Amino acid sequence: MTPFGRFLLATLCGLVLAGLVHLTVVLAIPYLSDRDALSRSRSTLSNDTSVLIHPAQVGGPAEATEDWLPPQDPASAIGVCAYDLDDGPVRVTAETGPLLESISLHGRSGAYYAVTDQAAVRGTLELVIMTRRQFDEALAEAGEDDRNRDVRVVAPGREGYVVVRVLAALPSQQAMANKAAASVSCTIDGPDE
Amino acid sequence: MFTLKPSGNLLSAVRRTAILPGLPRGTSRMRRFGLRSGRVATVALVLYALLLGACLGLASANWATRGRYPFGGVALNAWTAWPRIGSRDADPYARAIDARTGEIPLALGEGLVLTATQDDAGQRLDPGCRYAVSGTTPPARAWTLAVERRHPARATATGGPPPRTGFTSTEILRDRGGGFALALSPTVQPGNWLPMPPGEGSIRLVLRLYDTPVAASTGVLEREGVPSITRLGCTP
Repeated sequence: MTPFGRFLLATLCGLVLAGLVHLTVVLAIPYLSDRDALSRSRSTLSNDTSVLIHPAQVGGPAEATEDWLPPQDPASAIGVCAYDLDDGPVRVTAETGPLLESISLHGRSGAYYAVTDQAAVRGTLELVIMTRRQFDEALAEAGEDDRNRDVRVVAPGREGYVVVRVLAALPSQQAMANKAAASVSCTIDGPDE
Repeated sequence: MFTLKPSGNLLSAVRRTAILPGLPRGTSRMRRFGLRSGRVATVALVLYALLLGACLGLASANWATRGRYPFGGVALNAWTAWPRIGSRDADPYARAIDARTGEIPLALGEGLVLTATQDDAGQRLDPGCRYAVSGTTPPARAWTLAVERRHPARATATGGPPPRTGFTSTEILRDRGGGFALALSPTVQPGNWLPMPPGEGSIRLVLRLYDTPVAASTGVLEREGVPSITRLGCTP
């Protein structure tokens, strides 16, 4: 093979390698990043309620929070709470008010469930997040006559986070929205309850 | 992949400079030396290929995962929506971009985000110009329209309320037909005035539709229409 041919072959191999490196890096970024929402929200694991990470800023001074999100809707307050299903199913309870409120569940692979306050029953929105295994166990344990009213959501993975968004449509609703976004409870659903 | 055949420019150059003084000696040593430098050339080529692969791969991955989502955009006049980033079938690039910025996308059932970086004529939004954003929005329980700047100016402690950065569907003033007209301008305007945000870099308009049936099928977007963005004039 001529020297130039060898050089061409090496370049070709380099390009193929570049493609492989590109794909690997793009696929690996969500797992390696320490700035993604999953890693950042992990600090809220021990909390029983959601933590405000983006305050509504529609009037008056904004509430100081740990704001690591890129620019968000100035009119919405965003709260998160992380969950880890190893300790058992997680019960998410939100008291809805007059404001538009939505709860979305995110795993490592992205958002997998969302519900708005229109689904609330008597002002309460309640979800139980469980793994497939916990879901099957709960089904097996339930008797014939048990009527369970929980909305059960099967999570794609063990780890994830719950995001609460509350819209402050008017400046006067800012404080209420911030409070609502920080007051969603995420507790481990113990077997004794 | 690479044979150990003694060839290559490097090799011939080495021969020319290094072998000449040793010419009278036996050829066996020369062959051995040729074999060794051939191996050196091969190693250099392999290193070159590895380096090329690593550098190109990392640089292209970095380039592709910063800025806007590359795939899955639905364009409507000046607006673009990415309906699939808030679902489980988001593409790997969108996921990587979100992981790098810490962004939490609006889930499919929550709403839909439309962004615009151009006006209806296709010109980039200029911070020195006045724009009219008017019309109706796709059906949604609530919507907000905000303006963002790439590098916003730091908030100054003047004591007064922070300048408006967006309107919500509840507070915006509407005309008789239910439509709205919003003025995006660096100078004060009557009606719905949205101040041009101070700072550096490009600007973009973000329309967020909350609790909307649009997210399920973007065909609704085309039927209902999106607000138009018209450039009114620029201050020199």
